[in-house]
Amino acid sequence: TGGHTTEILRLLSCLSESYSPRHYVFADSDKMSEAKICSFEKKRAETFPNSQFTLDRIPRSREVRQSWTSSVVTTLYSMLYSLPLTYKLKPDLILCNGPGTCVPVCVSALLLGLLGIKRTIIVYVESICRVETLSLSGKILYYFSDYFIVQWPNLKEKYPKSVFLGRIV
Amino acid sequence: FRFKDSLAEDLRGADLVISHAGAGSCLEALEKGKPLVVVINEKLMNNHQLELAKQLHRDGHVVCCNCSTLVETLQSMDLTALKPFPPGQPEKFALFLDKVVGFQ
Repeated sequence: TGGHTTEILRLLSCLSESYSPRHYVFADSDKMSEAKICSFEKKRAETFPNSQFTLDRIPRSREVRQSWTSSVVTTLYSMLYSLPLTYKLKPDLILCNGPGTCVPVCVSALLLGLLGIKRTIIVYVESICRVETLSLSGKILYYFSDYFIVQWPNLKEKYPKSVFLGRIV
Repeated sequence: FRFKDSLAEDLRGADLVISHAGAGSCLEALEKGKPLVVVINEKLMNNHQLELAKQLHRDGHVVCCNCSTLVETLQSMDLTALKPFPPGQPEKFALFLDKVVGFQ
Protein backbone atom coordinates (compact mmCIF):
# COMPACT_ATOMS: atom_id res chain seq x y z
CA THR A 1 0.00 0.00 0.00
CA GLY A 2 0.92 3.67 -0.55
CA GLY A 3 3.90 4.58 1.55
CA HIS A 4 5.13 1.01 1.67
CA THR A 5 5.20 0.82 -2.13
CA THR A 6 7.08 4.11 -2.43
CA GLU A 7 9.64 2.91 0.09
CA ILE A 8 10.16 -0.48 -1.46
CA LEU A 9 10.65 1.01 -4.92
CA ARG A 10 13.35 3.26 -3.47
CA LEU A 11 15.01 0.20 -1.96
CA LEU A 12 14.97 -1.44 -5.39
CA SER A 13 16.36 1.63 -7.13
CA CYS A 14 20.04 0.71 -6.73
CA LEU A 15 19.78 -3.04 -7.20
CA SER A 16 21.70 -4.59 -10.06
CA GLU A 17 20.10 -6.38 -12.97
CA SER A 18 20.84 -9.73 -11.31
CA TYR A 19 17.70 -9.24 -9.22
CA SER A 20 15.40 -10.45 -11.93
CA PRO A 21 12.64 -11.39 -12.54
CA ARG A 22 10.87 -9.30 -9.93
CA HIS A 23 7.49 -10.46 -8.65
CA TYR A 24 5.42 -7.81 -6.95
CA VAL A 25 2.75 -9.07 -4.57
CA PHE A 26 0.22 -6.66 -3.14
CA ALA A 27 -3.28 -6.43 -1.72
CA ASP A 28 -6.28 -6.69 -4.00
CA SER A 29 -7.75 -3.57 -2.39
CA ASP A 30 -4.68 -1.50 -3.29
CA LYS A 31 -5.52 0.84 -6.14
CA MET A 32 -2.37 2.89 -6.40
CA SER A 33 0.55 0.53 -6.18
CA GLU A 34 0.18 -0.95 -9.63
CA ALA A 35 0.67 2.44 -11.30
CA LYS A 36 3.71 3.26 -9.17
CA ILE A 37 5.29 -0.11 -9.88
CA CYS A 38 4.69 0.06 -13.62
CA SER A 39 6.11 3.55 -13.73
CA PHE A 40 9.22 2.40 -11.84
CA GLU A 41 9.70 -0.63 -14.07
CA LYS A 42 9.20 1.40 -17.21
CA LYS A 43 11.96 3.76 -16.17
CA ARG A 44 14.17 0.85 -15.22
CA ALA A 45 13.68 -0.73 -18.63
CA GLU A 46 15.41 2.33 -20.13
CA THR A 47 18.66 1.23 -18.51
CA PHE A 48 18.00 -2.51 -18.39
CA PRO A 49 15.96 -3.42 -21.46
CA ASN A 50 15.65 -7.08 -20.48
CA SER A 51 13.90 -6.25 -17.22
CA GLN A 52 11.20 -8.70 -16.28
CA PHE A 53 8.54 -8.31 -13.66
CA THR A 54 5.10 -9.64 -12.73
CA LEU A 55 2.25 -8.38 -10.59
CA ASP A 56 0.14 -10.55 -8.29
CA ARG A 57 -2.68 -9.66 -5.94
CA ILE A 58 -3.76 -11.43 -2.81
CA PRO A 59 -6.61 -10.58 -0.45
CA ARG A 60 -5.66 -7.91 2.04
CA SER A 61 -4.67 -9.68 5.24
CA ARG A 62 -5.46 -6.92 7.72
CA GLU A 63 -7.12 -3.51 7.85
CA VAL A 64 -5.56 -0.74 9.93
CA ARG A 65 -6.24 -1.32 13.61
CA GLN A 66 -8.13 -4.56 12.97
CA SER A 67 -8.39 -6.71 16.08
CA TRP A 68 -5.88 -9.48 16.79
CA THR A 69 -8.27 -12.41 16.55
CA SER A 70 -9.98 -11.33 13.35
CA SER A 71 -6.54 -10.54 11.87
CA VAL A 72 -5.50 -14.16 12.35
CA VAL A 73 -8.60 -15.27 10.43
CA THR A 74 -8.11 -12.81 7.56
CA THR A 75 -4.39 -13.64 7.37
CA LEU A 76 -5.20 -17.35 7.11
CA TYR A 77 -7.62 -16.51 4.32
CA SER A 78 -4.90 -14.59 2.51
CA MET A 79 -2.68 -17.65 2.87
CA LEU A 80 -5.09 -19.63 0.70
CA TYR A 81 -3.80 -17.35 -2.05
CA SER A 82 -0.25 -16.72 -0.96
CA LEU A 83 0.65 -20.39 -0.50
CA PRO A 84 -0.07 -21.53 -4.09
CA LEU A 85 1.44 -18.29 -5.39
CA THR A 86 4.67 -18.73 -3.43
CA TYR A 87 4.80 -22.38 -4.47
CA LYS A 88 4.44 -21.36 -8.10
CA LEU A 89 7.04 -18.57 -7.94
CA LYS A 90 9.53 -20.36 -5.65
CA PRO A 91 11.43 -17.13 -4.97
CA ASP A 92 15.11 -17.18 -4.03
CA LEU A 93 14.64 -13.94 -2.11
CA ILE A 94 11.69 -12.17 -0.52
CA LEU A 95 12.03 -8.48 0.17
CA CYS A 96 9.27 -6.93 2.24
CA ASN A 97 8.74 -3.80 4.27
CA GLY A 98 5.75 -4.07 6.50
CA PRO A 99 2.27 -4.05 4.98
CA GLY A 100 0.06 -6.84 6.34
CA THR A 101 0.34 -8.49 2.93
CA CYS A 102 3.91 -9.55 3.64
CA VAL A 103 2.99 -11.83 6.54
CA PRO A 104 1.06 -14.49 4.57
CA VAL A 105 3.70 -14.41 1.83
CA CYS A 106 6.57 -14.90 4.27
CA VAL A 107 4.72 -17.57 6.25
CA SER A 108 4.07 -19.41 2.97
CA ALA A 109 7.77 -19.24 2.13
CA LEU A 110 8.71 -20.50 5.59
CA LEU A 111 6.30 -23.39 5.20
CA LEU A 112 7.78 -24.34 1.82
CA GLY A 113 11.20 -24.21 3.47
CA LEU A 114 10.12 -26.50 6.30
CA LEU A 115 8.68 -28.94 3.80
CA GLY A 116 11.98 -28.99 1.92
CA ILE A 117 10.38 -27.61 -1.25
CA LYS A 118 12.26 -24.30 -1.51
CA ARG A 119 14.52 -22.37 0.80
CA THR A 120 13.90 -18.63 0.47
CA ILE A 121 15.97 -15.83 2.02
CA ILE A 122 13.63 -13.37 3.75
CA VAL A 123 14.81 -9.79 4.08
CA TYR A 124 12.58 -7.39 5.98
CA VAL A 125 13.14 -3.63 5.98
CA GLU A 126 11.13 -1.73 8.58
CA SER A 127 9.63 1.53 7.39
CA ILE A 128 11.45 4.83 7.89
CA CYS A 129 8.38 5.92 9.86
CA ARG A 130 9.22 3.45 12.59
CA VAL A 131 11.62 5.26 14.93
CA GLU A 132 10.77 3.87 18.35
CA THR A 133 8.45 0.91 17.81
CA LEU A 134 8.07 -1.84 15.24
CA SER A 135 4.99 -2.36 13.14
CA LEU A 136 2.95 -5.50 13.82
CA SER A 137 4.43 -7.20 10.74
CA GLY A 138 7.85 -6.22 12.03
CA LYS A 139 7.23 -7.68 15.47
CA ILE A 140 6.27 -10.98 13.88
CA LEU A 141 8.92 -11.14 11.18
CA TYR A 142 11.75 -10.07 13.50
CA TYR A 143 11.81 -13.70 14.58
CA PHE A 144 11.19 -15.30 11.21
CA SER A 145 13.20 -13.26 8.75
CA ASP A 146 16.81 -13.99 7.81
CA TYR A 147 17.75 -10.32 7.87
CA PHE A 148 15.75 -7.62 9.65
CA ILE A 149 16.75 -4.07 8.78
CA VAL A 150 15.85 -0.99 10.81
CA GLN A 151 16.49 2.62 9.86
CA TRP A 152 16.89 4.32 13.23
CA PRO A 153 19.46 3.61 15.98
CA ASN A 154 16.78 3.40 18.69
CA LEU A 155 15.34 0.30 17.10
CA LYS A 156 18.75 -1.29 16.68
CA GLU A 157 19.20 -0.96 20.44
CA LYS A 158 15.80 -2.44 21.21
CA TYR A 159 16.15 -5.24 18.67
CA PRO A 160 19.77 -6.31 18.77
CA LYS A 161 19.43 -8.98 16.07
CA SER A 162 18.46 -6.31 13.57
CA VAL A 163 20.74 -4.69 11.01
CA PHE A 164 21.22 -0.92 10.97
CA LEU A 165 22.43 0.68 7.75
CA GLY A 166 21.17 4.20 8.44
CA ARG A 167 18.42 5.71 6.32
CA ILE A 168 18.13 3.74 3.09
CA VAL A 169 15.01 5.19 1.47
CA PHE B 1 -8.17 21.41 -3.39
CA ARG B 2 -9.08 18.15 -1.74
CA PHE B 3 -6.76 15.61 -3.31
CA LYS B 4 -4.11 15.70 -5.98
CA ASP B 5 -2.11 12.84 -7.40
CA SER B 6 1.10 14.64 -6.59
CA LEU B 7 2.09 17.72 -4.67
CA ALA B 8 5.50 17.85 -6.32
CA GLU B 9 4.72 20.95 -8.36
CA ASP B 10 3.19 22.86 -5.49
CA LEU B 11 6.15 21.95 -3.31
CA ARG B 12 8.64 23.17 -5.88
CA GLY B 13 7.16 26.66 -5.81
CA ALA B 14 6.76 26.92 -2.05
CA ASP B 15 8.97 28.91 0.35
CA LEU B 16 7.49 27.31 3.45
CA VAL B 17 5.49 24.16 4.03
CA ILE B 18 3.04 23.72 6.87
CA SER B 19 1.93 20.14 7.19
CA HIS B 20 0.33 17.56 9.42
CA ALA B 21 2.64 14.93 10.87
CA GLY B 22 2.10 12.30 8.19
CA ALA B 23 5.38 10.68 7.24
CA GLY B 24 4.91 10.97 3.50
CA SER B 25 4.11 14.68 3.69
CA CYS B 26 7.05 15.44 5.97
CA LEU B 27 9.59 13.49 3.97
CA GLU B 28 8.44 14.88 0.64
CA ALA B 29 8.84 18.46 1.84
CA LEU B 30 12.20 17.82 3.52
CA GLU B 31 13.64 16.07 0.49
CA LYS B 32 12.84 19.11 -1.61
CA GLY B 33 14.76 21.20 0.90
CA LYS B 34 11.75 23.22 2.00
CA PRO B 35 11.50 24.61 5.52
CA LEU B 36 8.79 22.63 7.25
CA VAL B 37 6.44 23.40 10.12
CA VAL B 38 4.74 20.24 11.38
CA VAL B 39 1.41 20.68 13.13
CA ILE B 40 0.71 17.85 15.49
CA ASN B 41 -2.86 16.92 16.28
CA GLU B 42 -2.50 14.36 19.04
CA LYS B 43 -6.19 13.54 19.04
CA LEU B 44 -6.20 12.53 15.42
CA MET B 45 -3.03 10.54 15.09
CA ASN B 46 -1.83 7.13 16.13
CA ASN B 47 1.10 7.12 18.52
CA HIS B 48 3.34 5.60 15.91
CA GLN B 49 2.65 8.28 13.36
CA LEU B 50 4.09 10.86 15.72
CA GLU B 51 7.37 8.99 16.06
CA LEU B 52 8.86 10.34 12.88
CA ALA B 53 7.71 13.92 13.45
CA LYS B 54 9.17 13.89 16.96
CA GLN B 55 12.48 12.47 15.75
CA LEU B 56 12.74 15.01 12.94
CA HIS B 57 12.09 17.72 15.49
CA ARG B 58 14.73 16.31 17.86
CA ASP B 59 17.24 16.25 15.01
CA GLY B 60 16.47 19.87 14.21
CA HIS B 61 15.00 19.32 10.75
CA VAL B 62 11.50 20.68 11.37
CA VAL B 63 9.64 23.20 13.50
CA CYS B 64 6.87 21.58 15.54
CA CYS B 65 3.75 22.95 17.07
CA ASN B 66 0.12 22.04 17.62
CA CYS B 67 -3.07 23.59 16.26
CA SER B 68 -3.46 26.13 19.03
CA THR B 69 0.17 27.32 18.94
CA LEU B 70 0.46 27.55 15.15
CA VAL B 71 0.03 31.30 14.83
CA GLU B 72 2.56 32.25 17.49
CA THR B 73 4.98 29.65 16.12
CA LEU B 74 4.78 31.16 12.64
CA GLN B 75 5.44 34.57 14.12
CA SER B 76 8.38 33.63 16.30
CA MET B 77 10.09 30.73 14.51
CA ASP B 78 13.68 30.81 13.27
CA LEU B 79 13.88 28.85 10.03
CA THR B 80 17.61 29.43 9.66
CA ALA B 81 18.17 27.16 12.64
CA LEU B 82 16.76 24.19 10.74
CA LYS B 83 19.28 21.59 9.66
CA PRO B 84 19.22 20.23 6.11
CA PHE B 85 17.81 16.75 5.69
CA PRO B 86 20.28 14.49 3.86
CA PRO B 87 18.75 11.99 1.42
CA GLY B 88 18.52 8.30 2.24
CA GLN B 89 21.12 5.96 0.75
CA PRO B 90 19.60 3.00 -1.05
CA GLU B 91 23.11 2.22 -2.38
CA LYS B 92 23.99 0.96 1.09
CA PHE B 93 21.06 -1.39 0.96
CA ALA B 94 22.10 -2.67 -2.48
CA LEU B 95 25.63 -3.37 -1.20
CA PHE B 96 24.26 -5.21 1.81
CA LEU B 97 21.84 -7.28 -0.22
CA ASP B 98 24.53 -8.23 -2.75
CA LYS B 99 26.59 -9.67 0.11
CA VAL B 100 23.57 -11.51 1.52
CA VAL B 101 22.66 -13.27 -1.71
CA GLY B 102 26.24 -13.77 -2.82
CA PHE B 103 26.53 -11.31 -5.73
CA GLN B 104 29.90 -9.77 -4.94
